[in-house]
Amino acid sequence: MIPGKYRSVSGRAANNVNCGLHLVIQTSSLPEKNKVRFKKVEFKLNKDTSSFPGRLSQHDLERNYSSRQGDHINLVSSSLSSFPILQRSSEEKILYSDRLSLERQKLTVCPIINGEDHLRLLNFQHNFITRIQNISNLQKLISLDLYDNQIEEISGLSTLRCLRVLLLGKNRIKKISNLENLKSLDVLDLHGNQITKIENINHLCELRVLNLARNFLSHVDNLNGLDSLTELNLRHNQITFVRDVDNLPCLQHLFLSFNNISSFDSVSCLADSSSLSDITFDGNPIAQESWYKHTVLQNMMQLRQLDMKRITEEERRMASVLAKKEEEKKRESHKQSLLKEKKRLTINNVARQWDLQQQRVASIATDEDRKDSDSAQDPCQIDGSTLSAFPEETGPLDSGLNNALQGLSVVDTYLVEVDGDTLSLYGSGALESLDRNWSVQTAGMITTVSFTFIEFDEIVHVLPKLKIKFPNSLHLKFKETNLVMLQQFNALAQLRRIDQLTIDPQGNPVVNFTLWKYYVLFRLSHFSMQKINGTEVTQNDMIMAERLFGILAHVASSELPQYRLISILGDARKKQFRYLLESKGKKPGIINEENNDSKRPVGENTNRATLNYTTREFYNEKLEEIKEKKKFCKTYIEDLVKEATEINMKNEALQKLWPQMFIELVRDAVIEIRNKNSYMKLCLQQITDQK
Amino acid sequence: MLSPERLALPDYEYLAQRHVLTYMEDAVCQLLENREDISQYGIARFFTEYFNSVCQGTHILFREFSFVQATPHNRVSFLRAFWRCFRTVGKNGDLLTMKEYHCLLQLLCPDFPLELTQKAARIVLMDDAVDCLMSFSDFLFAFQIQFYYSEFLDSVAAIYEDLLSGKNPNTVIVPTSSSGQHRQRPALGEAGMLEGVEASLFYQCLENLCDRHKYSCPPPALVKEALSNVQRLTFYGFLMALSKHHGINQALGALPDKGDLMHDPAMDEELERLVVRSKLHRTPWQHRAKEPGAFGFQRREKQEALERVSSASVPTPYHYRWEPRE
Repeated sequence: MIPGKYRSVSGRAANNVNCGLHLVIQTSSLPEKNKVRFKKVEFKLNKDTSSFPGRLSQHDLERNYSSRQGDHINLVSSSLSSFPILQRSSEEKILYSDRLSLERQKLTVCPIINGEDHLRLLNFQHNFITRIQNISNLQKLISLDLYDNQIEEISGLSTLRCLRVLLLGKNRIKKISNLENLKSLDVLDLHGNQITKIENINHLCELRVLNLARNFLSHVDNLNGLDSLTELNLRHNQITFVRDVDNLPCLQHLFLSFNNISSFDSVSCLADSSSLSDITFDGNPIAQESWYKHTVLQNMMQLRQLDMKRITEEERRMASVLAKKEEEKKRESHKQSLLKEKKRLTINNVARQWDLQQQRVASIATDEDRKDSDSAQDPCQIDGSTLSAFPEETGPLDSGLNNALQGLSVVDTYLVEVDGDTLSLYGSGALESLDRNWSVQTAGMITTVSFTFIEFDEIVHVLPKLKIKFPNSLHLKFKETNLVMLQQFNALAQLRRIDQLTIDPQGNPVVNFTLWKYYVLFRLSHFSMQKINGTEVTQNDMIMAERLFGILAHVASSELPQYRLISILGDARKKQFRYLLESKGKKPGIINEENNDSKRPVGENTNRATLNYTTREFYNEKLEEIKEKKKFCKTYIEDLVKEATEINMKNEALQKLWPQMFIELVRDAVIEIRNKNSYMKLCLQQITDQK
Repeated sequence: MLSPERLALPDYEYLAQRHVLTYMEDAVCQLLENREDISQYGIARFFTEYFNSVCQGTHILFREFSFVQATPHNRVSFLRAFWRCFRTVGKNGDLLTMKEYHCLLQLLCPDFPLELTQKAARIVLMDDAVDCLMSFSDFLFAFQIQFYYSEFLDSVAAIYEDLLSGKNPNTVIVPTSSSGQHRQRPALGEAGMLEGVEASLFYQCLENLCDRHKYSCPPPALVKEALSNVQRLTFYGFLMALSKHHGINQALGALPDKGDLMHDPAMDEELERLVVRSKLHRTPWQHRAKEPGAFGFQRREKQEALERVSSASVPTPYHYRWEPRE
């Protein structure tokens, strides 16, 4: 209900000055208002009207009023209705027949305007009007100004088919509606309202300027049909994305300052708008980005002005260069992330296979054990507690990444990675990669070699290759390589040099032994290792190691019979030499230390040289080979024994029989010689017979 | 040499009893394997060396388990070698797990079976948690009994089993190699209130066993002595008693008495020389770390070592010093 406020307006400066409403709407000289720039709309209806700025201050009003004191306007309350009725003096009516200004009249309702059906401009600025009413009869109205009122809903305009300018700024409008008949609308100003959605304007095909600044818009769409729109002001909203702008064939100026746009994708339709030449983004999050300017310039080549500044050729060139660089970088990082993902999946795959293998081995082991002895179990593998420490990450992948990876086959069972100075090998298949042709530069840079998910026994076989191809590798890392015996460290002695050794406890039970580090220091003392598992090696450690195992070395060298030494050392040397001659081929099991590079006097090194490591399979192979020989030896010895026993028996038999035989011989001889003469004759006879 | 009982046996058996054939076969086998190298310096010398090393007990070093186990002499040599090489570990005071001892064994014999070590550990730990730490001397003496008398112990286990379950103790039992100890565990519950078996009965069976079989047994008198103090005993109690018995240890002849276990002056001197030599050859950077080893290793340092290095000539009991090849 609009309380009938009636006032007698005589004598006060509240009167409207109804002269020369020159509709010049302009400039940024207005301080607190929106920086709206309207196109100059000159509506010179009265040629001899003097122009004055659109919004009059009260003072001006008074001034003007006093100077143009003519017939004044009377707002007379009628007892019949609650609306005041406007009456103008006939003089004024004639003078300003087409315009009426009721600015600052403290109106709370639109008064009934009778007899003014020719009005073309109507000004209700700065009042308290809550509803647009009582103007349906002004069917010739071209411009209606309701700026700064309290209107909550657009209504009551359905008869104003000629309306060209509708100014509803600074009201309380929540929704754009009821503009259906205003097909000639040229300027629609709805700034400073509470509008949340752009709607019901699609029929305004003559609209050139649309001002929706300072509303509550969160997005821009539904702009089709505005075929004449050249300026769209959306400043000071909460816009996050913009659509449909490419459907505006004439749009030249678009103001998006002070919104919530953070990426160019959300305003991507702008790139397709060929008419756009002026755009502002300042006050948006996007304007803070480092790539803002050149991305906008690159995507909107048609722009001439950005954020109220002209775009120079230089800027354009810079923009395209930078944009290209961005593209490159993005492609690069995409590639990187693809690679990383592939790597991760491969490592997971390798880990899974390793676990399966370990469990298979362990279950075989327990089966065998169960067969002959009691509950001997391999405590580390069976209970599944050493399942891979790379849990399957099912976290959200970038969808693009995911699609790309569908194409990659994750059947890879190994991974070889070179990262600066580190060569990482995952899975036993990776060992073959050592055969590749590594460039001297790459190979020379490698100082760290890391083995994961590979059986140590397999690594042992490729250590000679490692020595040759990667001469600068000084740091070895082992993780999940099944190091279980101290003996296995003997195999490392053949390398040229190791400065650091890292044995990850995961998958390497040997680390649980109390003495393992000392054994390593002892066996590999000729390397003068600096660090083991990150801890520095002190002289006391070395002395301790020597103390603990020194006797072992002494025994191993000085107490072995020489032929054994020769066989152990010489054998290995021969085989290594053979390996160097033939570049490929199965490596022998027995691996030994090369003394060539040691700086120490030879005596000290080689006393450990007999401490070797033979992988289980090779050892068993060797034992198999020896079986043949053993069998032969057995039979040979048996034959010898038989012979010896036979001879012995014969000897003993002879011993027993000899006395008897001897007596017989003697008796025979004596009997023969009893008769000397006949014996002499017999002998002579024998001699002649012989001849 | 010319004793009558020597002639009482047929030749082959005599040789076999003395294990002469084993060594002969092994010697010939080694000869075959290393033909090229040995031919350089002559077969006669090879045989000399071989049998010398057999006498000295160094022939078992780094040999396969089947050979190490083959004769009692080999077993004794192996035990002795193990003691000499790793006495320092014991001297250091470390307690190691069964697996680690097994590793040390494997350093000398690459395919030494785990079960023997496990059985030895069970003796020490009285069949409790097998992952406990053991001291060097405990382990060594238990291991000695287990390794040297392994077949004997298997039979004993079978006998014990039968006694527990109440069978006739005088029946002949010839167990398969390791089934005995596999059976004995669950039977414990059936023994009723009293644990183990009666000592005298048990001893009787053992005596029969020793008489009947040809593999080495501990001297029965000493066994009796070991059993004399107890009324009843368990299997592992019996083994523990055996391992701790000094007489049996001396009868074996492999290891010194428990008190002397850590003493080996000749080796200690040798070791000191090695340590000093290694110290002298440290590269400069290693001298900077003064604090004790950062490995968290509990140990007792023997500082008196340096003073003993004076004597340069140490009488080595072995004739053949290995000369470096180069």
